[in-house]
Amino acid sequence: MSTHLIELRNVSKTYSTAAGDFPALREVNLTIQAGEFIGIVGKSGAGKSTLLNMINGVDQLSSGEVIVNDNGNWISIHKMSEDQRALWRGKSMGVVYQSFQLLPMLSLIENITLPMDLSENFHPRRSRERAMELLKLVELEEHAEKLPAFISGGQQQRVAIARALANDPAILVADEPTGSLDSVTADHIFDVFEHLVSEQGKTIIMVTHDMGLAGKFSRNMTIADGELLNSETETSADRTIRRRK
Amino acid sequence: MNKPALRTRRKSGPVQVADFAPESMIELRGVVKRFSNAAGEFTVLKGVDLTINRGEFVSIVGKSGSGKSTLLNMVTGIDHPTEGMAVVNGTDIYTGVTESQRSKWRGKNLGIVFQFFQLLPMLTLLENVMLPMDYVNLYDFDERPARAMELLKLVGLEKFANKLPVLVSTGQQQLAAIARAMACDPPLLVADEPTGNLDTRSADAIINLFEQFVSQGKTIVMVTHDPSLTSRTHRNIILSDGELINETISKSLPKLRHRHMLEFTKLAQERRYQPNETIISRDESVDYFFMIRKGEVEVILQDREKQEYVVSRLQPGEFFGEAELLRGGRSIGNVRAGSKPVETIVIPRADFVRVMNESPITVEAISKAVQKRLEAHKIEDHRTG
Repeated sequence: MSTHLIELRNVSKTYSTAAGDFPALREVNLTIQAGEFIGIVGKSGAGKSTLLNMINGVDQLSSGEVIVNDNGNWISIHKMSEDQRALWRGKSMGVVYQSFQLLPMLSLIENITLPMDLSENFHPRRSRERAMELLKLVELEEHAEKLPAFISGGQQQRVAIARALANDPAILVADEPTGSLDSVTADHIFDVFEHLVSEQGKTIIMVTHDMGLAGKFSRNMTIADGELLNSETETSADRTIRRRK
Repeated sequence: MNKPALRTRRKSGPVQVADFAPESMIELRGVVKRFSNAAGEFTVLKGVDLTINRGEFVSIVGKSGSGKSTLLNMVTGIDHPTEGMAVVNGTDIYTGVTESQRSKWRGKNLGIVFQFFQLLPMLTLLENVMLPMDYVNLYDFDERPARAMELLKLVGLEKFANKLPVLVSTGQQQLAAIARAMACDPPLLVADEPTGNLDTRSADAIINLFEQFVSQGKTIVMVTHDPSLTSRTHRNIILSDGELINETISKSLPKLRHRHMLEFTKLAQERRYQPNETIISRDESVDYFFMIRKGEVEVILQDREKQEYVVSRLQPGEFFGEAELLRGGRSIGNVRAGSKPVETIVIPRADFVRVMNESPITVEAISKAVQKRLEAHKIEDHRTG
C-alpha cells in the first residue's frame, strides 16, 4: 500500500522585482508517495528550483500549502517557525546540489560525519561507523581518508550524496545532481539513487533540465512557466500522444 | 640558498622552524612534486623556491597545467611535496606531521577559498561561518555566533545571515565562503580562482575585501586568470611548466611569452653595483640587457657643450641596454647607479637578440618605452637601426 508523504496544495510563488511581479510557480498541486523516484524536468527558469525550495521549506511560498507526513502526523511545513523547519529538514531531508559543496579541508569521512556531529543524532563513534557504511554504499570506502581535491568530480558527488544521507532522511531532494558530470558518471549517480529507492525505500525528488533523463524516473513531470503539466495522470506515452496531436 | 633549517622538535604536532626570517610567511625550498600514473611519471613542480612575506598580497598566474593549484596545495598542506620543504607561518608543515595534526594546524593558520564555494547547503550562512570555529574549537562556544555575525557584516551579508546558501546569489555565496575562511582569524588566506565563477561586480567586491584584509596585515596568496586582479596585487608570480619565472623579468618584459620568460630566468645573471658606480660608460660596447631589481639607475647624456645631465632615472621593473643591443653596439651615454645600491639581472647579448627575433610584440613594447623616455627629454636617437 502506498503512503502519502508530501502534498503540495495550490502552491504559488511570486517574486517581486523592480520590473514588477514575477510568478515563478502557479497553483501547483502534487502528491508524492513514499518510495517514489520523481523527476521534474523543465527548462532553465521554468520554476524547477523554486519548486524544490517549496518542498524542502527553504524558501517561503506566496500562497498554498505544503503538507508532509511526519511519522503519521500531517504538518504544514511553511507554518512552522524557521527553527522548527530547520530541525525538521535536518531530520527528514537530504539535499544534493549540482556543485558538490564538500569542505575542502576535511577528509571524505569527516565530510560525512559532520552533519551527524552537528545534529547530535549519533554518538561520535557510531557516526564514524555510519559514515564508513555510507561511503561503502557509494563505493568509496577505500578513499575515506582522502581530501576531496584528490578524487574525481563524480566521486565527489557520490560523497555529497552519502553526506545527504548521513542523518538517514526519508526524502532526498536533488537539484541537477548530474549537471556537471559526464554521462557515464551521471549513470553511476543514477544507479546509487535507484538503489536507495529500491533497497532502502527512500523517496527521491530530482529536478533536471535534461529531458533525456525523463525515462529513468519512476514518475516524471514537466514544469514550464511555473506550471506542472498533467502532474498526476500523464504518462510519457500520454505526453507523446498529446505532442503529436 | 640558506643553510638547512634548525629545528626544535616537539613531542607531537608540526615542527616549529627556528632559522627563518620572522617576516616570511611562506618559504618553499626546492619543492618538487611528481605524479605517477599509467602513462608514466610527470613532474608538476620542478624545484620551486619561493618566499612570501607577511602582509604581502600575491597573485600566482600561469597557463592551465603549469602547476598553480599544485603549488597552492603545497602551501596549504592539502597535498605533500615529493622533495623539498615548506615552512608556513614558522612551521615546517611536512616534517614528522600526521594528516590530522596538519588538519588542526591548517584550521588555525589558514583560510582557504575555492572557486566553488563549498558552503554546506543545509546550514544557514551564519552557521556556515561558525563551522571552522566549532571544528578547531576556537573562541568560546557562546561567542561564536556574534563573531560569525561580525564577519558577515564585514562582507556585507548580515541581512542574509539566517538564509540558506541556495537563496543568495553566487557572488554572495563566495563572500560568505570568504567570511568562513576568516572565521578563526588566520594570518594567511589562500584562494584558488576566487572570482572564477563570478560577474565583474561581484569579483570587484571580493578584491576590495582582500585589499582590506591586506591593509590589516593579513597575507593573501591567490591563483587567478583574471588580469584585472593581478594588477591589484603587490606581486605577481608566474609559473611556467612547473618553474617560477624571475619576477624582475616578468615585471620588465610583461609581453614576453611565458616560455621565453622562463628561458631568460635560466640565463639571468645577477649584477650588483655600489651607489654612484658606473654601470655602462659612453661609447662602451654593450654586451648585456639589464633589468633593475632594486635601486635607481641614472642615464646620463652630454649636451653639445659636453655638459652632463640626467636624462632618466630608471626604477625597479625598468630596463636599459636594449637600444644598444637591438639597434647599435655602443652606448650613447653613461649609465650609473643612483644614490643607493643597485641590483640588476642581465641577459647576454646573443640570447637577448635571439629571443627578441621571436618576439615582435616585446620589441615593439620596448621601443615604445624607450621612445617615451627619449621624447620626455626631446632627444633624438641618432643610431641607425
